[in-house]
Amino acid sequence: MESFQQNDGNRDELIIQQQREIEKEIIDTTPLVSEQLPLTCLWAEYNGDEVFTAKIQDLSKKYKFIRRTRPDGNCFFRAFAYSYLEYLISNNSAYQEFRKLAEESKDKLVQLGFPSFTLEDFHETFMEVIKRVSPDEAGGHDKVQSELHKIFNEQGYSDYVVVYLRLITSGKLQEEADFYQNFIEGDFTIEEFRHQEVEPMYKESDHIHIIALCTALGAGVRVEYLDRGEGGTVKAHDFPEGTEPRIYLIYRPGHYDILYPN
Amino acid sequence: MLKLFKKSKDKIPKSEIITEPKEPKTPPVSKCGKPLQLDNCRWERRLHKELMSLIKEPPPGVTVDTESVQQNLSEWKINIKGFEGTLYEGEDFQLLFKFNNKYPFDSPEVTFIGSNIPVHPHVYSNGHICLSILTEDWSPALSVQSVCLSIASMLSSCREKKRPPDNTLYVKTCNKNPKKTKWWYHDDSV
Repeated sequence: MESFQQNDGNRDELIIQQQREIEKEIIDTTPLVSEQLPLTCLWAEYNGDEVFTAKIQDLSKKYKFIRRTRPDGNCFFRAFAYSYLEYLISNNSAYQEFRKLAEESKDKLVQLGFPSFTLEDFHETFMEVIKRVSPDEAGGHDKVQSELHKIFNEQGYSDYVVVYLRLITSGKLQEEADFYQNFIEGDFTIEEFRHQEVEPMYKESDHIHIIALCTALGAGVRVEYLDRGEGGTVKAHDFPEGTEPRIYLIYRPGHYDILYPN
Repeated sequence: MLKLFKKSKDKIPKSEIITEPKEPKTPPVSKCGKPLQLDNCRWERRLHKELMSLIKEPPPGVTVDTESVQQNLSEWKINIKGFEGTLYEGEDFQLLFKFNNKYPFDSPEVTFIGSNIPVHPHVYSNGHICLSILTEDWSPALSVQSVCLSIASMLSSCREKKRPPDNTLYVKTCNKNPKKTKWWYHDDSV
């Protein structure tokens, strides 16, 4: 073990400072979760690139809107939570079921060995968020929807939700370690993977995170993959396979946003 | 495994917060007023909670210097004993934890302080510790207690008392804050 300082004592600080400036720029320019935008706004990002233009065209047959999330490494979890709660707001029975599952999830995590002590805070806030977007809230759907948007753009709440979903994901990986071990490349044990790639904030999500979270919460996700791959169409994947999707996401290498089907 | 430090969050030294203009710019509002000030009181609440638990049920060999905490909730001194049967048996060490108002999203800054800095391949003679959970692998679900346990276990598993190979150069050139170092986490079997 050694620190990387051989040439220049200030080098680390300069690199860290530069990273910080990039992060700050992202924070200043991108809300945690944006308003709904027309899907075709993606065109502007690809500057007439033929492959992407064709694929976005294809995608726009199925989806009208997109909602962007801040690219901070937490985008999958934030997009997942926002989109699922949005679905639940208009589906009272599914909402009640989910609320029960969320309520019970803490004891389950404690049984799995998570310290109830640090877990409590995150669970409490998670439940508070769920309660604040109850379909039974006075003021009707629009009011609850705008409450949801407000909550998710308040870092204090938004990040607590992200942490809690990370812990649920980590718990699922532990619970079914034998199964998930097959997805892990290299010499990582499930234990190391959970502590290094799932529980810390800002670590990006992969298939394994998605499968574990969807399975744990019983929520189907469809991910549309927009990349430079062949064929003029966008490929979709459902997690867990064969489940009816409630959450629609678009994946572009390194980033997830929310989609709205027609 | 060799890992590169990817990201680190901005640290506002506590001293900056303390030295902010004293006179209230706006009429004082409840610190815990909802919703925007949520963060401001949460980190303190969380620290209080951790402190109580550490005082009531400290892990073996770990004691909080409550006097230091009473003076300043954002800086804790914690005493840690070398366990019996390890290379550090009979030695006493002291850790300094510094927290900012983004805790627990930001990791605490943790260093060994005092006259006895453990001679260990992951501990520099200025007290800086190379431990991934203090930077890259920090998670808000970790706590002061879990950091103490990791450090105790790092000491206990040591087989040879020696300084890191680049100790001299690092100590000469590093920033006072170990979180401003980009650490390379090598094999953790030591």
